[in-house]
Amino acid sequence: MLDVALVSLIQDMSEKAGVDGTIQYWQRVGENLARRIGKEAYMGWPSFNVALREGRTGFSIEGDVTPLTDLAITDVDGDVVGYIYALKQCVFVPTILRVRYSVGELPRADRAVAEEYNNSVHDIAVCNFCVIHEKFREEVAKNITIAGQHLESLLLATRGFTGETKISERNLKKLGINPEHVRSLLRNYECVYAIMMKGAKLKGA
Amino acid sequence: MAAEPARDRLIESNPFVDVATHLFLEDIADKQGASGLNNYLMSLATNLAKSMPEEEYDTWDEFLEALKSGNSILTTFEEVFMPTKNCVVTRRSPFERGWQEYVKRVGSFSRIHEEVAEYYNSAVKPTAINSLHIIHQTFRAAASDRITVGGKRVKYAQVATVWTDGEKKIVPDEWLPVLLQKAGISRTELNMLLRNNADVWLLYTE
Repeated sequence: MLDVALVSLIQDMSEKAGVDGTIQYWQRVGENLARRIGKEAYMGWPSFNVALREGRTGFSIEGDVTPLTDLAITDVDGDVVGYIYALKQCVFVPTILRVRYSVGELPRADRAVAEEYNNSVHDIAVCNFCVIHEKFREEVAKNITIAGQHLESLLLATRGFTGETKISERNLKKLGINPEHVRSLLRNYECVYAIMMKGAKLKGA
Repeated sequence: MAAEPARDRLIESNPFVDVATHLFLEDIADKQGASGLNNYLMSLATNLAKSMPEEEYDTWDEFLEALKSGNSILTTFEEVFMPTKNCVVTRRSPFERGWQEYVKRVGSFSRIHEEVAEYYNSAVKPTAINSLHIIHQTFRAAASDRITVGGKRVKYAQVATVWTDGEKKIVPDEWLPVLLQKAGISRTELNMLLRNNADVWLLYTE
């Protein structure tokens, strides 16, 4: 109910504070959530990936995250510095359905917020909720260390409720990953992102 | 209007948004205090109700059918049963899952959620245990206002609230006899309902 109430507020908020105001609001919501979840530390990538599978990390509040352990990110020395992760279903899809069947339709501002975010921040949003997700993950990553090193999260690709897809050329370039590789992941997943050691020197990037 | 079949219910919440929102509400309270948060919660709930379509029913029985099947905006987010024609009982708070996720991932529910309820109880009506009841009860009042039965507007009154941890809030003793009479239940029946349900409320027309 709270999620549907917040969605109903988007239209009003966007009319009063502008779509950029709504973007800032969602970013603060994501940031606040991540900050309050607190810090975590892991011995290495295997223990982090197990914690993620078992729903014990800050990232787990988004639902079942799949660590794609066959898709390791390596640095210039060939050491594993991160992995690709994916959500089969975006945590907001049930909310979108709840809005559809309680209010009738998503507010027009949903599209407007996503478009503004794509133009001004990062061309990756397929709906207004992607704004919270990206900020939330970036902030959660800062609170986690693996073998004493801080993490960073990069949003790579998204598939929306209506089938629209977005692939982040900017972030894929950083990782040196072929966009077609990520596109194939979107057949089975709605949101694909990378978690890696902050400041790692990447091969081919 | 002919009765619609019930669809799959929309009761489950979104824990990600619920937890994020609780924390955001705490942030608002830090800046604007309990009264500012109370205003925000009430406008959030009113806004939601106003974004939903109005309803009209020819008879009370037709309205009851829509309530029970979840086809009315009033019961979109909660599963109810009706021991009498005017008394409505919510089995489980729609906010329960979000609260459980909060205590699991963040820790004890912040005290501000009770403080804002204390403000609401003194300034609006004494029926809330925490911030979520302000949203829920304001929504019910605003949603009822969008429904007519036989041309008359539906009125809502909260009788009692029970939170997930078992804490209860019943309307003041001086209000109770009138509300129980309208609901068509006795004080003992109310206590029986409060044992394993989340809310007891009342719908009527004048």
